[in-house]
Amino acid sequence: MTTTDLPPPGELPEIAVDPAAFRHLADAQVNVELDTGDMVLNIGPQHPATHGTLRLVVRLDGERVVSADPIIGYMHRGYEKLTEFRTYPQITTLINRIDWLSSFANEVPFIDAAEHLMAIEAPPRAQYLRTILTELSRIATFVLFLGEMGLQVGAITPAFYGFRDREYVLNLIEAVTGGRFHPNFNRIGGIKDDLPWGWISECRGVMNKVLASCDEFDDLVVGNPIFQKRTRSIGIIPQELGAAYGVSGSNLRASGVDWDLRRDGPKYLVYDELDWQVWTHPDGDSFARYWVRLQETRESARMVLQMLDQMPSGPLMAKVPRIIKVPAGEVFVNTENPLGEMGYYVISKGATGPFRTKIRSASFSNVSILPWLLRGVYVPDIVTILASLYFILGDIDR
Amino acid sequence: MGLVSSGKTPKPLQHLLNYSRKYSLWMLQWGLACCAIEMGAALAGPRYDVMRLGVIPFPASPRQADLIVISGTVTDKMAPAIKRLYEQMPDPKYVISMGSCANCGGPYWDSYSVTKGVDQIIPVDVYVPGCPPRPEAFIQGIVLLQQRIMSEDPAERWRGATREPIVVG
Amino acid sequence: MADEAATEAVPALREQAVDALARLQSELGDAIVEHGAAFGDVVVRVRRDAWRRSAQVCKEQLGCDYLSFIGGIDWMPTPAVAEEGSGDTSTPAQPKEQTYGTAGSDGRYQLLALVESTRRKSWRVILKTDLPDGDLHAESWVSVYPGADWHEREAWEMYGFVFDGHPSLRHLYLPSEFEGHPLRKDYPLLAREVKPWPGLVDVEPMPGAATDGDGDAEGAGETE
Repeated sequence: MTTTDLPPPGELPEIAVDPAAFRHLADAQVNVELDTGDMVLNIGPQHPATHGTLRLVVRLDGERVVSADPIIGYMHRGYEKLTEFRTYPQITTLINRIDWLSSFANEVPFIDAAEHLMAIEAPPRAQYLRTILTELSRIATFVLFLGEMGLQVGAITPAFYGFRDREYVLNLIEAVTGGRFHPNFNRIGGIKDDLPWGWISECRGVMNKVLASCDEFDDLVVGNPIFQKRTRSIGIIPQELGAAYGVSGSNLRASGVDWDLRRDGPKYLVYDELDWQVWTHPDGDSFARYWVRLQETRESARMVLQMLDQMPSGPLMAKVPRIIKVPAGEVFVNTENPLGEMGYYVISKGATGPFRTKIRSASFSNVSILPWLLRGVYVPDIVTILASLYFILGDIDR
Repeated sequence: MGLVSSGKTPKPLQHLLNYSRKYSLWMLQWGLACCAIEMGAALAGPRYDVMRLGVIPFPASPRQADLIVISGTVTDKMAPAIKRLYEQMPDPKYVISMGSCANCGGPYWDSYSVTKGVDQIIPVDVYVPGCPPRPEAFIQGIVLLQQRIMSEDPAERWRGATREPIVVG
Repeated sequence: MADEAATEAVPALREQAVDALARLQSELGDAIVEHGAAFGDVVVRVRRDAWRRSAQVCKEQLGCDYLSFIGGIDWMPTPAVAEEGSGDTSTPAQPKEQTYGTAGSDGRYQLLALVESTRRKSWRVILKTDLPDGDLHAESWVSVYPGADWHEREAWEMYGFVFDGHPSLRHLYLPSEFEGHPLRKDYPLLAREVKPWPGLVDVEPMPGAATDGDGDAEGAGETE
């Protein structure tokens, strides 16, 4: 089954078929004569279009993909084994680097899991700070995507815009945590430090800048006819199949599944105190995934603005013993990270480190649908589909 | 070029050659992990703009590259590919190892799948420490490399002479 | 809190989890060996021969259309890396005897999976099954959840579990010539065996420790 003869999920846009396109019927004849079948194209492991070290072995028939086999593991660093040899505070440092674009968001579910087991709850101000920083890392991740995706269809300008906005947000994160990338700022029971002087007004300014540049992306990329032609009804993920593959986050919401762990999961952080909405798109194609992320960037900026207004005062740390020993037990905490569902299944035996940590990372499942998704597409569309799924290699390979 | 390889380049000519090489470093990006994003910020970010230093980050092929930047964790699965691409680069060639992982394994020093330092596979000219290094640190590495290129005898490389690596910081 | 009769032994099950457990019990019957709670979530240990059937029940009857992950657990106690009192505090000291977690286990190896629903709030089930030591076989879930493909390849690579009915069990992360199953507890991290932990204070004696006077003089000179 190819992506093209799928039943349309939801409302598909009407596409006018260019009569010239039927010339490929004639090409088909040529294909038989020239025997273009079964050419193997190896993309990667080092290739600009793969965002890192993903390797794709694609069997082609002419310009069409017959089968695609992603080969992963070029960035496998053995996190699950390493967590068994580290203490809880050390693991926070380590797991920053799983999804390196939104490091802060990685820490939250793990710290949450440890806090559940220790029966500690972080004070409200710490929860607010965590939420703000999580949303800031979401914005930092998504603006890069909004730019990169333009780059993948040949538009270079959006990439510069993306990096520009990312720098603004990284400055904010750096001002609070001291690290541009890997803040390592969460502590079991709270958060390390308070906001620096003047940060809140600075943050308001940047959020307004982000909202303005979202409008720019709207005009520059979403409204661009070339971009639409390259992404509309390409790489369609049907709802049921996407869920069964474990595709999560914006990728699944772009297929019309109204599911966001910030709202639908067990309570974490302070999302229930905010006024926000979950964005979905019925199409499930590359364009929908771009559109949903654009809306979510806006929504995150609005959420941060709200939180700045209603942030409570108070302590930043709960009472925590000096040596952190986590009581025996098992817990699974999953959160809505920028790339999708990230979860930690932590098994503790009462020591200073976990006995076993199963890390459920979003990109791993998001990419596992590729062999199905790439079947039957044209070679140039591989690049846009890969870009629109938006994965981070560290998050695939762990 | 026979003059250069014979090692008898007149000083003014050598100066001119080095000057040209220094400001036209074609760079093969080997973006591996977190550091690749910081490298990307240095290359594509309007704030850092490494191209003003004459570093051209465009060749997608090692055969046109003078400089390779290994930015990120090198795994045992990746190592052969790095070695092969390095060997495809023409001399004189330079290697910048960016970030703790590429320098020595970094936070994955005890992992079963990570190569503990890219210098086990290929010779490194500049080490940029940090996890990840800031774009400024990466640019500092480039500047130090350019200073070394300026002062070196081009023939030295072809004779296979090795020099003490530079450590940024 | 759970106050239903069926789950009185289970503390702190979420409302949805109580419901899910009751429905699983009526569908799977005696295929459920044991069940427990993990901070609100229900953990159900099923018989090995009902592994695929429980996935089907979860997907079709319970509406868990979303596969979160499949992984493994090795309950063998962690072998001590550092000798006691050596100063290596990097490795947490785990208990020496073999104990089991929520919902128990029969032996060393266990398979762990989590399925969720995208339509109901906080609706998820954690499934476990025991794999006897010499016979690490389980049914593959690929026909139920196609996404199980990579997860099962990972579990095969990391633990050596074999999934019957899986289309192609081959290496996922590691090079194809890699030997061993890294996530098993008895797989050593060689870097830790061959060199001391870098965070160890005083791995080697201070320079000039043997000749006291000289060492001090040198140290003072360096700081200037």
